[in-house]
Amino acid sequence: MTTVPDAPHTPGLPHAPDTRPVLRVSGLTVRFGGTTAVDGVDFELAAGDTLGIVGESGSGKSTTALALLRMLPPGGRITAGSVELAGQDLAALPEEALRALRGRRIAMIFQDPMSSLNPVLTIGTQLDEALRAHGGSLRKAERQVRAAELLDLVGIPDAAGRLRDHPHQFSGGQRQRIMIALALAHDAEVLVADEPTTALDPTVQQQILRLLTRINRETGTALVVISHDLGVIAQTCRRLLVMRHGRVVERGVTSELTAEPRHPYTRELLAAVPRLEEPSRAAANSTPGAEPLLTVRGLSKTYGSRRRAVTALHEVDLDLYPGETLGLVGESGSGKSTLARALVRAHAPSAGSIRFRGEEQARPARHGAPHREIQLVFQDPYSSLNPRMTAGQIIAEPLIAHGLGDRARREARVAELLTQVGLDPATADRHPRAFSGGQRQRIGIARALAPEPSVLICDEPVSALDVSVQAQVIDLLARLQRELGLAVLFIAHDLAVVRRVSHRIAVMHRGRIVETGPADRVVTAPEHPYTAELLAAVPRLAAVPHLPAAPHLEPARATTPGEATAPPARATTRSTA
Amino acid sequence: MRTFLLKRLPSGLLVLALASFLVFLILRLIPGDPATSLAGPDASPAAVEAIRAQLGLDQPLFGQYLGWLGRLLSGDLGPSYAIGGQVADLIGNGLGATAQLALGALLLVVLIALPLAVAGATTRSRPLAAVIQAVTTAVLAVPPFVTGVLLVLVLAVSLRLLPAGGHESLLAAPDLALQYLAMPALCLALPSAAVLARYLKDGIERALAEDYVRTATALGVSRRRIVWRHALPNALPSAVTVLGLQIGHLIAGAVLVERIFAWPGLGQLIEQGVARRDYPVVQDLLLLVVAVYVAVQLLTDLAYAWLDPRIRWE
Amino acid sequence: MTSTTLPPEPRTDRTDRNRYLSALRSWRGLTGLALVGAAALAGLLAPLLTGTDPNAQSALALAGPSAEHPFGTDDLGRDLFSRVLHGIGTDLALIVTAVPVGALLGCSAALLAATSRWADLAVQRAFDLLLAFPGLILALAVTAVLGPGRWPVVIVIALAEVPGFGRQLRAGILVQREREYALAARVGGASRARVLLRHVVPNAVDPLIVQTAVALSLGVFIEGAMSFLGLGVRPPEPTLGSILSQSVAYLATDPTFAAAPLAATTALVLGFTLIAEALNRGIRR
Repeated sequence: MTTVPDAPHTPGLPHAPDTRPVLRVSGLTVRFGGTTAVDGVDFELAAGDTLGIVGESGSGKSTTALALLRMLPPGGRITAGSVELAGQDLAALPEEALRALRGRRIAMIFQDPMSSLNPVLTIGTQLDEALRAHGGSLRKAERQVRAAELLDLVGIPDAAGRLRDHPHQFSGGQRQRIMIALALAHDAEVLVADEPTTALDPTVQQQILRLLTRINRETGTALVVISHDLGVIAQTCRRLLVMRHGRVVERGVTSELTAEPRHPYTRELLAAVPRLEEPSRAAANSTPGAEPLLTVRGLSKTYGSRRRAVTALHEVDLDLYPGETLGLVGESGSGKSTLARALVRAHAPSAGSIRFRGEEQARPARHGAPHREIQLVFQDPYSSLNPRMTAGQIIAEPLIAHGLGDRARREARVAELLTQVGLDPATADRHPRAFSGGQRQRIGIARALAPEPSVLICDEPVSALDVSVQAQVIDLLARLQRELGLAVLFIAHDLAVVRRVSHRIAVMHRGRIVETGPADRVVTAPEHPYTAELLAAVPRLAAVPHLPAAPHLEPARATTPGEATAPPARATTRSTA
Repeated sequence: MRTFLLKRLPSGLLVLALASFLVFLILRLIPGDPATSLAGPDASPAAVEAIRAQLGLDQPLFGQYLGWLGRLLSGDLGPSYAIGGQVADLIGNGLGATAQLALGALLLVVLIALPLAVAGATTRSRPLAAVIQAVTTAVLAVPPFVTGVLLVLVLAVSLRLLPAGGHESLLAAPDLALQYLAMPALCLALPSAAVLARYLKDGIERALAEDYVRTATALGVSRRRIVWRHALPNALPSAVTVLGLQIGHLIAGAVLVERIFAWPGLGQLIEQGVARRDYPVVQDLLLLVVAVYVAVQLLTDLAYAWLDPRIRWE
Repeated sequence: MTSTTLPPEPRTDRTDRNRYLSALRSWRGLTGLALVGAAALAGLLAPLLTGTDPNAQSALALAGPSAEHPFGTDDLGRDLFSRVLHGIGTDLALIVTAVPVGALLGCSAALLAATSRWADLAVQRAFDLLLAFPGLILALAVTAVLGPGRWPVVIVIALAEVPGFGRQLRAGILVQREREYALAARVGGASRARVLLRHVVPNAVDPLIVQTAVALSLGVFIEGAMSFLGLGVRPPEPTLGSILSQSVAYLATDPTFAAAPLAATTALVLGFTLIAEALNRGIRR
């Protein structure tokens, strides 16, 4: 059925894993004040083996990872259990002895490569710090040679030449490689990776996962990967723990467990994960109209001065029909969000036209008022709701702005909208902080629906949510489309989600739309090489792990053009907050 | 770096130009004829006329302003009417003493603030943290004219450790000069040191909560190195900005401190100028203060850019 | 699609006023309030608490504390108890007039800066210009024109507070304006003015509350310094700064002269500083 070019899947099957455990965790319990974050977790990790820990937010997976190095945030305490590394209990060791083990026997890499490297120190200095932390005998020149070796090992081109660069001069993927290089400084026996690719684009994620696998294979470092994404774990880890509410609910060999989950929660989790292989459900939900509602032609947007212009959108053409969901996929910096903001007229485009119901919108140069019938749903349910206002006030804002109804009618409409998005109307007087992430996203949707739009632009509406909540929000959007006949532009980086919800998919790359077509066709028979590359990067769940074919799966220096170039220097304001 | 300086320089020069015009206006804003008030009540009409000609008061306002600037740039500051002598000489005499005081205070600010901030941010001993907090709050809360009075009371009057006031040339008798300098410099430095210590402490605490400190901890870097090598460099840029603003307060504070400790510097001179309505002295000194302030701000911006590579490369 | 239920714990939905109140209820806040409260009460009730005219001279100069003169007398034989209480009253009247004016000017300028890029540049340079005349230098410049007196003190305090308030609010607006909820309001159809005033500004005012307490302490400070240099309120009207500056000449011989004005000044500034700290902690939490 799928003719997707098969990425070399490299399940973490090194040499047959040693039976001797390097890490033995038993009864590990972590408490924050009165709440138990991790409750009696135990597992063993054999030398050179790979273990994945999967769970949703609040499952205690990241706390478990931090507890392995006893690096819990303030207030957290290991109250019971032990973490035995090579015969020593890390949970009971004095701080100084523990420090001597961190980075030397057990190392860790973190989620956000943007904030996890020191912005004012050069990469060379940071590697040097890691080396001198335990390498008493090495002289400065030797450490410098070793630092370059490490950078080379993780695939940074021109390693020796880049030691004097600062973190902001590297791309996100390269920074994560540098993080890995730091962790490898002393050939630790155990490498703990906490959501190592969550902040990265799919193609970059793929490269980092392969790098981790290669390192596990070449250096024999045992790997613990913590992730919310079962696909990531399935690709890198031989064994798997499923965590929920601080407990391990199921464990086993990854391939077996994903094929035949026994615990109901694991089943639920697996069912909620969108799969690229699943065909689109959009046609069953609604049938698009014949006349386009929104027509975009030659839309361009250029930022910056004439000399150093950055083109965010390049002659984008787009049609959106009533009752249709058009999926828009692309990696960060591809121009997706710029397009969304141009469509709701938050930005004025540099050139091109946006027609709504065949009517030309205000001239690009003029900054027109936002259109009532085109509304936006945001990615971040935390920052997109005004913390000072109640849910009811937030939803009523567009009604007030467009002068729709008096106070009593607005209240009735707010109650109606809350019911429509599946929230209790009695919650209208609560502030956003009283709601969970998924509930906040519902408030955001209700706000967008308030002025009765016919077009809903959803900018990564589910990427900040847990998979089970994701599924609920996606279902909500589908129901609303069915009931209200909405045209939806669904922007996301996750191809599997996009295929599921969309009638058609448009693929964006560097400000251009490189391919548009029916959802199933774009996924199964991509026409543009970039689409194929994106598809190849999606970590597959169902795929049965094959044994690695070639000894070197990835040339050490291979970086895609997208990753090799540093991001455009971002404006750093120095106004003190 | 050079582009950075070029970006900052125009706004600094603009502020300087605007300030100089404001300072120039002071003499024209006082009620009555400036020449008469400068000459004093008992002056002869000829003397008033001489002053009028010297200041070019018969010319249009903007021409007078340009004339004043031109004379300043050529180093001709003109005579002082009430205090006597040439303004240039008066300023020259006070400049050294004030510079000694300000630089001594600046040095003390850094020497006091840095250890306090590092200790306050990193100590695990709650009593020590509380003491540091209390000391900085107390110093902040007591105005320098009060601190000065207290210092004199304790160190000079009760303990007789240091002279209560006065000045000695640094070249002629260095040890005596330092004894005279110690108390005024300390008095001037204390409030700024407390402010800087707080900002720096907050900055170090914030940096210690950052992800990159977690990275360093996971690599087994020692606590001491994390504080000095990883956290402090991130806290320094904004601390330098605060220090730059504090230099303004050091200049203003010098007026008070010089009065309390009978320190023969520019603060005394400008105070005398205001009291005796010697406007040329006041104007030139105000402009000098603004110029120093603008220069310090530029230096601060440069130091910030030098300390924070993200700015440097922008 | 099923309706999801709210989490059972309606997380303590504290209102903002409550946040400030609970911040003030910390030991810092309470100490600060007690110090300021006691001083303010003494100053306001000065005419009731003391029957003595603060400017009435007597032959009993530089006396120590006694039943008749609880704080002693000054070099002109005036009752220090009466002078210090009236001095607090004068100080408070000055700063309570000046600080709101400075805050209003600074905040208006910050709002103006939010309207366009050119306005922002102009306002920033104006703040820079004010900052280039730090504290007492500004006092010297103003009194060079106006001469010493009550109004110059008010003007100097107000002008000195403008950049503090203005820069705080401007920075807050710049940060909050980039948050997504501001964009959401704009897309929802709100006008630029409504986005600014209804959404952005309410989220940017927290630091201003702290700034007010800081500004009040700075006001006491500036008044004191100006009186100390003879640029403040004209004698014989007592202010804390003027009594203190008189007492300096007699430090060696009559230290009790300085004790009361010193304590009152310190109590006011320390009180305001502690309140600012308490509020700051409350906001950061």
